[in-house]
Amino acid sequence: MSDPVVLESITKRYAGHTAVRSLSLAVAPGAVYGLLGPNGAGKTTTIRMIMNIIVPDEGKVRLFGAVSTGRDLSRRIGYLPEERGLYRKMKVLDLLVFLAETKGMDRPSAKREALAWLERLGLGAWALRKVDDLSKGMQQKVQFISTVLHQPDLLVLDEPFAGLDPVNSQIMKDTVMQLARNGTTVLFSTHIMEHAEKLCDAICIIARGEKVLDGPLSEVKRTHGGRHVVIAAEGGLNRHDALLGDRSLVAKADNYGQYAEVELVEGADPQRLLEGLLATGARLTRFEIAEPSLTKIFIDRVGPEAATATAGDGVHA
Amino acid sequence: MRKTLVVIRREFVERVRSKWFIVSTVMGPLLMVAFVVVPILMARRGARERVVAVVDLTTGDFGQRLTAELERSQAIKAERVASEPARFGLAADSLSQLVGLRVLDGFLIVSDASVDEGKVEYRGSNVASPRDMQVLESLVEDALFAERLGRSGVDANLVREARIRLDFKTAKISGSKTTGESAQGSFILAYAMWMLLYMGILLYGINVMGSVVEEKTSRIVEVLVSSLRPFELMSGKIIGVGGVGLFQFLIWGIAATLLIDRRVEVLRLAGVQLPPGAEISLPSIPIATMVVFLLFFLLGYFLYAAMFAAVGAMTGSEAEARQAANVVVMLLVVPSVLMIGILNDPGSSMAVALSLIPFCAPIAMPVRWAAGQVPLSEVALSVGILVATLFVITWIAGRIYRVGILMYGKRPGLKELVRWVRVAA
Repeated sequence: MSDPVVLESITKRYAGHTAVRSLSLAVAPGAVYGLLGPNGAGKTTTIRMIMNIIVPDEGKVRLFGAVSTGRDLSRRIGYLPEERGLYRKMKVLDLLVFLAETKGMDRPSAKREALAWLERLGLGAWALRKVDDLSKGMQQKVQFISTVLHQPDLLVLDEPFAGLDPVNSQIMKDTVMQLARNGTTVLFSTHIMEHAEKLCDAICIIARGEKVLDGPLSEVKRTHGGRHVVIAAEGGLNRHDALLGDRSLVAKADNYGQYAEVELVEGADPQRLLEGLLATGARLTRFEIAEPSLTKIFIDRVGPEAATATAGDGVHA
Repeated sequence: MRKTLVVIRREFVERVRSKWFIVSTVMGPLLMVAFVVVPILMARRGARERVVAVVDLTTGDFGQRLTAELERSQAIKAERVASEPARFGLAADSLSQLVGLRVLDGFLIVSDASVDEGKVEYRGSNVASPRDMQVLESLVEDALFAERLGRSGVDANLVREARIRLDFKTAKISGSKTTGESAQGSFILAYAMWMLLYMGILLYGINVMGSVVEEKTSRIVEVLVSSLRPFELMSGKIIGVGGVGLFQFLIWGIAATLLIDRRVEVLRLAGVQLPPGAEISLPSIPIATMVVFLLFFLLGYFLYAAMFAAVGAMTGSEAEARQAANVVVMLLVVPSVLMIGILNDPGSSMAVALSLIPFCAPIAMPVRWAAGQVPLSEVALSVGILVATLFVITWIAGRIYRVGILMYGKRPGLKELVRWVRVAA
């Protein structure tokens, strides 16, 4: 079985800047794949090229092994764009049937599936109401149903959790994971690392239109892990700046005040750090040799300036 | 193609179900009925007897004869008030009060100068009614004419007998064949066609634009173009809305045919009794005229709808789109402004030129066809130019549409638009 999505060094230029530069990646069948990057990194442009809404200036997009367009394969793909919208004056059921038909589904099965999905997500009573009558949360559910109801083999979701209330966000995650367990391949973009960390089998981080790293999540963590220690102490860690600044031991320390994520230099023994801390009289509340969080990897690799949207304030390197 | 059909069906069904469609479809025939009934009601109202006093300041008996003449006309109930110049002011005041109380419609003032110099004055509440004044004027004129002939020794009865009513019939010659259409009939037909074409092309074209803007502002367009080619979406939309237009014309056509066939019964139901002989003559519409009408409506609609779709795609909101659409609307207004000229002389070089310019032809040609004689070769040429233009415009509009629907922010300038058209994909 060929990979559902393969990008071969695609490039997209706009007047004045390059949105995506020579990006390659492959999404394995059945995978949950995260496309990560700060705002403006080129995630939406990449996804639009996958969907053939825009055409790359260079490179190839292969879907299910064929160089064909997302539109021709729309029967097999469910796409949720970042900018969402529905026909506000249409009845919910009519709208879902119409959207399924544009993807190539026949009318009777579209109707059947739409009703089943509405029932499943608790909107059964709203099938014949106008979209306008629905609350925002309900409209989000309808939008989501329109993405999945034609039983696609591949889901392409652009920032799927943005703007959802916590309840809908959870329902959506559960539903996506359920579909993934049943064999649907999921490709989604996000700038929220926690989501990717929880859901993804594999990731690709892009920044400024270029790939920073990609691979299975476990592998990414392994190559970046092993030398990471999370520490916390009573009264904070600012008293221990000298030790954290010891370049023979510590390669990099992110001191958040109450706790710090420390990356040791290669070959250094974490015990030395522990001894050093105890020697200065620190009363430790936490000392954990940890895999780095995706956020940490992300910030390390992308750099705080590119990751401003995600990294937030108060990061000391 | 199947996906285009899906779009066509949605546009058609959603529109036909809308309140807008029901209201405009019902209002249409109502207006049509109003066109038939209102003139008759007006005529009936006009037929109400006017009550007019004749203030007679003459020294002879012209006042009496005029009063009798007015009475005989049956349109006016006249009463003579003998007076003299010295007391005229008083008489005028009291008569004015009667007009104010609506006892009188007005009063005529005749004196010796009337017969000598034709000087007659009328004061009344109905002086603004051209119809009333026309009736009154012609009656007074007739009376004066008879009076002056009588002075010259001609018998008044002889004058009355010498006068006959003119029965003036007109018929339109089309393709060297005399048709049953009267001049008035073909004028009304051409006028009605102009109204329908102008309103139809404009309203449905703007509908297409609204639909494009709606998809763009609601952002649903991105989902749509992930499974539909932009051209499929645009053409489906245009055909779907056009289908609504044809459907509406069909409903109106059937309704109008039924109403006109049963107009006498309908009027009786409405409580209107036709005066004997007051048959409402309506132009019969030849099949060829209907074919020309529908052909040019469709071609014109497609042409303008494509332009409106492109305008909708390049703007970001309904208000902005309406403003930008003015350029397109102007193209359609040109033949409409010059319509009277076309009606007056359908064979003039201006009318011919307008019916060959593709942006004017959809209105100018059917109007010319209905108003006068147009050689088939000219119609064919006009259709040819129109179809060729339609292809070019649709191609350009399709390209603008494809880029425009995914663009947000500043409206593109002309240079930007040219770039959109030239960019491959």
